[in-house]
Amino acid sequence: MIEFENVSFTYEATPGQKSLRDFSLSINDGECILITGPSGCGKSTLLRLLNGLIPEFYSGETEGSIKIDGNEIQGSRIEDQAGRIGTVFQNPRSQFFNVDTTSELAFGPENLGLSEGEILDRIGQTVKAFHIGALMDRSIFELSGGEKQKIACASVDVLAPGIILLDEPSANLDYEAAENLRELILCWKNAGKTILIAEHRINYIWDLADRVVIMENGVLTKEIQRDEIGRFTEEDATRYGLRCLERIDPTSLVKAGKEAAEQNRKDNTIILKNFRYSYDKRQELYSIPEMKIRKGKVTAIVGANGAGKTTFLESICSIRKNNGIMEMDGIAYSGKKRIGMIFMVMQDVNHQLFTESVLDEVLISQRSENEEEAKKILSDVGLAGFSDRHPMSLSGGQKQRLALACAIASKLPILLLDEPTSGLDLLQMHAVAEILNRLKEEGRTVITVTHDSEFIECCCDDVIRMEEAQHET
Amino acid sequence: MSKQESGNKLSGRDFINIGIYTAIYFVIAMALAMTGLIPIFLILLSSTIGIIGGIPFMLFLTKVKKPGMILIMSLIMGILMFVTGMTWMPIPFSILTGIIAELVYWSGGYKSMRSAVLAAGVFPLWSCGNYLPLFLQREQYFAGRTSYGQEYIDAVMKFTPNWMFFALLIATFVCGIIGGLLGKALLKKHFERAGIA
Amino acid sequence: MSEDTWTPRRNKSLLDPRTKLLLIFVEAVLVLATTGGDRLFAFRVVFAILPFLLLLTAKRYMTCIVGLLVLGSIYFLEYTLFPYANGALASILLIIIMIINRFLPAYLTGVYVVGTTTVSEFKAAMDKLHMPDALTIPMCVMFRLFPTIREENASIRAAMKIRGIRFGGGKAGKMLEYRVVPMITCTAKIGEELSASALTRGLGKQKKRTNICHIGFGWADWAFFLLVAATVIYWILGVLA
Repeated sequence: MIEFENVSFTYEATPGQKSLRDFSLSINDGECILITGPSGCGKSTLLRLLNGLIPEFYSGETEGSIKIDGNEIQGSRIEDQAGRIGTVFQNPRSQFFNVDTTSELAFGPENLGLSEGEILDRIGQTVKAFHIGALMDRSIFELSGGEKQKIACASVDVLAPGIILLDEPSANLDYEAAENLRELILCWKNAGKTILIAEHRINYIWDLADRVVIMENGVLTKEIQRDEIGRFTEEDATRYGLRCLERIDPTSLVKAGKEAAEQNRKDNTIILKNFRYSYDKRQELYSIPEMKIRKGKVTAIVGANGAGKTTFLESICSIRKNNGIMEMDGIAYSGKKRIGMIFMVMQDVNHQLFTESVLDEVLISQRSENEEEAKKILSDVGLAGFSDRHPMSLSGGQKQRLALACAIASKLPILLLDEPTSGLDLLQMHAVAEILNRLKEEGRTVITVTHDSEFIECCCDDVIRMEEAQHET
Repeated sequence: MSKQESGNKLSGRDFINIGIYTAIYFVIAMALAMTGLIPIFLILLSSTIGIIGGIPFMLFLTKVKKPGMILIMSLIMGILMFVTGMTWMPIPFSILTGIIAELVYWSGGYKSMRSAVLAAGVFPLWSCGNYLPLFLQREQYFAGRTSYGQEYIDAVMKFTPNWMFFALLIATFVCGIIGGLLGKALLKKHFERAGIA
Repeated sequence: MSEDTWTPRRNKSLLDPRTKLLLIFVEAVLVLATTGGDRLFAFRVVFAILPFLLLLTAKRYMTCIVGLLVLGSIYFLEYTLFPYANGALASILLIIIMIINRFLPAYLTGVYVVGTTTVSEFKAAMDKLHMPDALTIPMCVMFRLFPTIREENASIRAAMKIRGIRFGGGKAGKMLEYRVVPMITCTAKIGEELSASALTRGLGKQKKRTNICHIGFGWADWAFFLLVAATVIYWILGVLA
């Protein structure tokens, strides 16, 4: 039993702005609660109060009481909750303490000082329940994002906590990996664990939840009970600023831009030829003899695995060596010639932000610095008041828009995006879609890798499926 | 950042922080050491480590609130030098310089910016430990090499006179101060505003 | 392998991690610092060859061959070129020969040890040696972060390439800031998240950790100990005599 009683919290970093306001909620043992709401609504704060990351990692002012099984938990150390509360975090890359999967699973139980036999037993049970035999004894650096998230869940499971917290666990996962995550959560639910999931992307777990809590500005705005969940419609979701409820496989949205392109005159098409990549001689990641992209449109690339798609984008803008040829306006561009023609926004935008202020970031992207124009671009992407902020202090959605602002400022004709909507709420997703629509009007070509069906429906003209690589063994 | 009054005992989180910043520091030091293949840069190495290393070190100091963290970082650098083949001498030397740096920052109550910059000057002295074998064991080494002829040995000795070691210490300290100031500037310009300091 | 079962694997490398630490020490003392002088020359030769053999057992053929080539060319320089050189050239040659001759075996030992020791083996060894957490945990975090820093660096370099052209001209001095600062920022952020994840899984909770990683001495370890013991005894006899 978890009880929040009139809890308020203010982060030290943002004084005068309560992230939680007089929040009360009680959660029964074995319940699966989905907590959702727009960015900054306080859902992550809730989880941080439970697992102790507040106040150890985020200091601030707490009021009210938080009890687990009748005991006040404020003041207890994070470590002490291990074995009682398990947390799965957002970023699959940063959750590992070890470099191989087996040690990672053993890590938690080792810290608790369990005996070797007990640890091995537990690992065996988790492997069986999660079907992850093939992932054992591997280096974490060779796993995909989805596989890493599985291991992260498994390393929580071996500690056998009664309460499991998931903080936007699907933010960096593609459609299939989110489906797999759903299976693991279902597994926990069936085992009778108390589960709290904070998520934007609610469709993959919508029907698993026993209760849905919708928050806004630190206040609980709506609580949906089990029997009402089925009656909650897409329109209701939109009204509360939530993402869509229905699970749509992005590969089912493939629209034949192909025929359209072939009917069109050749100068309307960009042809990508002979793009292939393989880790070694036997295993090919992808192979694309020819792909046609309509100029001045937004094309979504779906299917295959994340690594393949990302590598493909990197090859197009030739930050990765390749032999692919891009034909545009009758000119064939080899890898070298493409440098300086194409802008790419990476999935982890953090790598792309270099300067000390938002405005500077746009300025260095321009061919020649023009402050007026830069400010206009910033207000176009909704960052008007942020000129002087440090880029790294922005939220995920704001960083994404800043990277897009840089792309606009660069005036490059082709723009590549890698999962631009991961971890974004409805509002921010629409903002990104709107920017893309405007780029389209300016006659720029956008190619985006995405798993986000809702986003595809918002702004993508063509949807191309990238085939899964053939494994020749 | 932490408000916990858990006394002066280092916690798991402190240990992880030491690991994070020592990793960054070590990677930077190794990247600089690559330039050391050219002999002249080898002599300048400790100074360049002082300047560039000052950037992560100053950020590290913002995480240091309890005694011992600087000393541990210094000792790990010494151990890693030992592992990468610089003899055992860097280990005691790094303990010595680590203690001095620790005392300097401690004297400022683990928050004074002036002590921080001074500590950034003292800290990179650990890297001078790498030069110690070159100075202390020269005779021993050349004893077995008389076949080269005395004049050659004299020439090498001339390149590495004993006062040179002290000159290196002073140069490294000065560069460390410069690095500390550079780190301080970048703290203000980037890390604090990015919310990681 | 089946998806549902897992059997603990026992593939330890030839040497125990503790033996590897001793190996590094001996290489540093005997070969690098040339302790013991001429009397131990034969032993020094054995220990200089040892890293090459160990690299072979770890299937690091490339490193081994490159190492041999470097060593070979150094001896070639020493015996063909050096006797005819004089003045500054001779001094520089002497320094290069001296440094590489002494450092190479120790360096290759380092390559071997780092390449064949997993983080959990290292942790187990440190625990068995009763090293304090204050050293063990930071060093484990470091081993964990090195590959991450490499990944981050590659991504930052790629991102700069995309926007690189704009950095040209008068902004060359800013390159350092653009490279080093994002690397530190990204690594610090990842480290912070790693720290949160590790603490929620009980790191530092218990005074005494357990370890499922098996380490122990095998025949190769004992053989190595014998070799070290022989060296030490021979050396002491020499000192006494």
